[in-house]
Amino acid sequence: MAVILSNPDQAIVNLVHEALNLLQAYPALAILASILLSTLPLVVIFPSGFAFITWMERKGLARIQNRIGPNRVGVPFTNIKLFGLGQPLADGVKMLLKEDIVPRTADKFAHFLAPVLVVIPALLVLALLPFNRNMVAAGVDSAVILFFALGSVSTLAIFMAGWSSRNKYSLLGGMRAIAQMVSYEIPLVLSAVTAIMITGSLNTSRLIETQQIGTWAASNNVGLQCLSQVAGWNVFTPWGFAGFVIFFIATLAEVNRSPFDLPEADSEIIAGHLTEYSGFKYALFFLAEYIGAFAMSGLATTLFLGGWHGPNIRPWWSADPEAWIIPGALWFFLKMLLLIVLMIWVRGTFPRLRVDQLMGFAWKFLMPLSILNIFVAGAYFYLPIWIGWPAGFIILYIAYELLGRLNRGQVVARREYRYAT
Amino acid sequence: MNITFTILSTLAIVSALLAARLRNLVYAVLSLMIFFSALAALFIVLLAEFIGAVQILVYVGAVGILILFAIMLTHHIAGSTGERIDARGWFWAIPAAGAVLFGILLPAIIYTPLPLVPSSSTYEPSVLHLGQALMSPYAATLEIMALLLTAAMIGAVVIAMTLQPGDKEKHADQN
Amino acid sequence: MTPLSSYLVLAAIIFFIGLLGALTRRHAIIVLICIELMLNAANLNFIAFWRFNPHPEAMLGPIFVLFSIAVAGSEAAVGLALVISIYRFYRSVDVEKMNALQG
Repeated sequence: MAVILSNPDQAIVNLVHEALNLLQAYPALAILASILLSTLPLVVIFPSGFAFITWMERKGLARIQNRIGPNRVGVPFTNIKLFGLGQPLADGVKMLLKEDIVPRTADKFAHFLAPVLVVIPALLVLALLPFNRNMVAAGVDSAVILFFALGSVSTLAIFMAGWSSRNKYSLLGGMRAIAQMVSYEIPLVLSAVTAIMITGSLNTSRLIETQQIGTWAASNNVGLQCLSQVAGWNVFTPWGFAGFVIFFIATLAEVNRSPFDLPEADSEIIAGHLTEYSGFKYALFFLAEYIGAFAMSGLATTLFLGGWHGPNIRPWWSADPEAWIIPGALWFFLKMLLLIVLMIWVRGTFPRLRVDQLMGFAWKFLMPLSILNIFVAGAYFYLPIWIGWPAGFIILYIAYELLGRLNRGQVVARREYRYAT
Repeated sequence: MNITFTILSTLAIVSALLAARLRNLVYAVLSLMIFFSALAALFIVLLAEFIGAVQILVYVGAVGILILFAIMLTHHIAGSTGERIDARGWFWAIPAAGAVLFGILLPAIIYTPLPLVPSSSTYEPSVLHLGQALMSPYAATLEIMALLLTAAMIGAVVIAMTLQPGDKEKHADQN
Repeated sequence: MTPLSSYLVLAAIIFFIGLLGALTRRHAIIVLICIELMLNAANLNFIAFWRFNPHPEAMLGPIFVLFSIAVAGSEAAVGLALVISIYRFYRSVDVEKMNALQG
């Protein structure tokens, strides 16, 4: 008990370490247990989070669109309607029981492999995110670039899906999806580079450690302790704010969510590369999309929103200088949830972008802005803060206005209906 | 011999063989992707984590997709015609390549005294040294590489463009 | 720990496979794929030698491989652009049919 209470937010980690210490006599078993303990929670929590998020998305979109959303499926086999919380269960059962149709001339090997290959990187990159101070499954030194590298494997899977269906609409949809994902990788990585540059490390735990104000955190003032965990976030700097917005928009494009969901929109090209997939393979594509959204939101909170820092106070009964009362993992998941809610909100609000608007936005607006962001971050690092902060905001705002005006020609002219009376 | 090295090297050799000898072009490229991933895993085993990540990012994520696009644009899966996949005079390539392998490479490996264990077993992989090396001795090379990449990008677009310099007026009204 | 010669033999075998494919195949894109195999074998050599070096902090191996990957990527891009352009002219990517400079 003393072990738990001396460091409340690290309680789970300390418990796990003590449990693993009991297995010291059997090193192979200890290694297996530690591997299972670091990866099983990810594989269990995030797919069930995916189920909850599908419910939340349907209810949220429905409320934005002035309707109610699923509210009938509650606890199965009873009459209890739990606001439709059983809907993901019903959807899962439906997807599993659907007939799995594969076109006769399709490339069976690639057609089978594509949904698997799209889910694997999405789940794999979750291991690189630190959910609390010592709660990272794979704390490698070059975590951020491994994240982007593994994320780019899903473009290959989408090409395989589009090609193997032997359907010209699937192929076209797959090509457009790949073009979109490859174009938006550049602002994604460049906006992450600013946070990496200022912190000086690709290690995700190190990126989070530097996002607090250490001198305030060590003081005895409760207010200063709370504020120290929040005021140091990267999003409260000019480059961090611009970087966060660019990262968020590029995330929406990378996971093919609205308003960038051209590849999978029903009214566009049937369903693009997903046309010939039914049943569980279709469900796997959506699982990959939502878990990719989770992983990218996790990286956004790591880079810009301060990771597992949140308003926290030190426990006064403990002598540990790193202990906090509220577990940091709670703040991490709250921020991820906030970003997912923001994604759902954006989906319900904005209309879909056309393919040339999409590409123009990436190459002519986001890329120059993210390159300028890197310069602003460098200048912010070297100038004193009372010059760097307002100068950064002013430069970024001027760039935003100028680039907006340069791209103004994309607006479609007002239509004239000659025969409308 | 390590189990990791055995598995990764077998995977690399088998996928390289498939990539070089398969008739169906898309399957050849997919096994090339497996080869790149096996090599990236070998780089990570050799404690060059950044290079392993760059290998996946550049080769699997970009060069592989590029090759697949080129295959799609040239429409030649080469599976259906029934012709042989080897060029004329393929027989003489085997002794030539064999001479390179058994005459140059393998003797060089066998007759050189090579270390058996890494002499710095306390090396911690870190990107800091790479960044410092890129900035201090090799900054000029970095700039030249940037120029090369820009030139390659512009060159590839110019070569593969459909619009010839005289067609600007003809195609301008179609947009 | 595997000895250095294992990595070098693996790289030599991959180079041999790539060389054989580049000299043998008829399809231009497969020739480019085999060139990529050879470049990757050389990169493996560099990283293996760097790992067994007494001073890995100098980062000579990864620096060279980084530039090699960049050059290989740009070479693949330009090579594939050339293949596409040739396809438009010859309507085929068979290397045996491209003999306009022969004789």
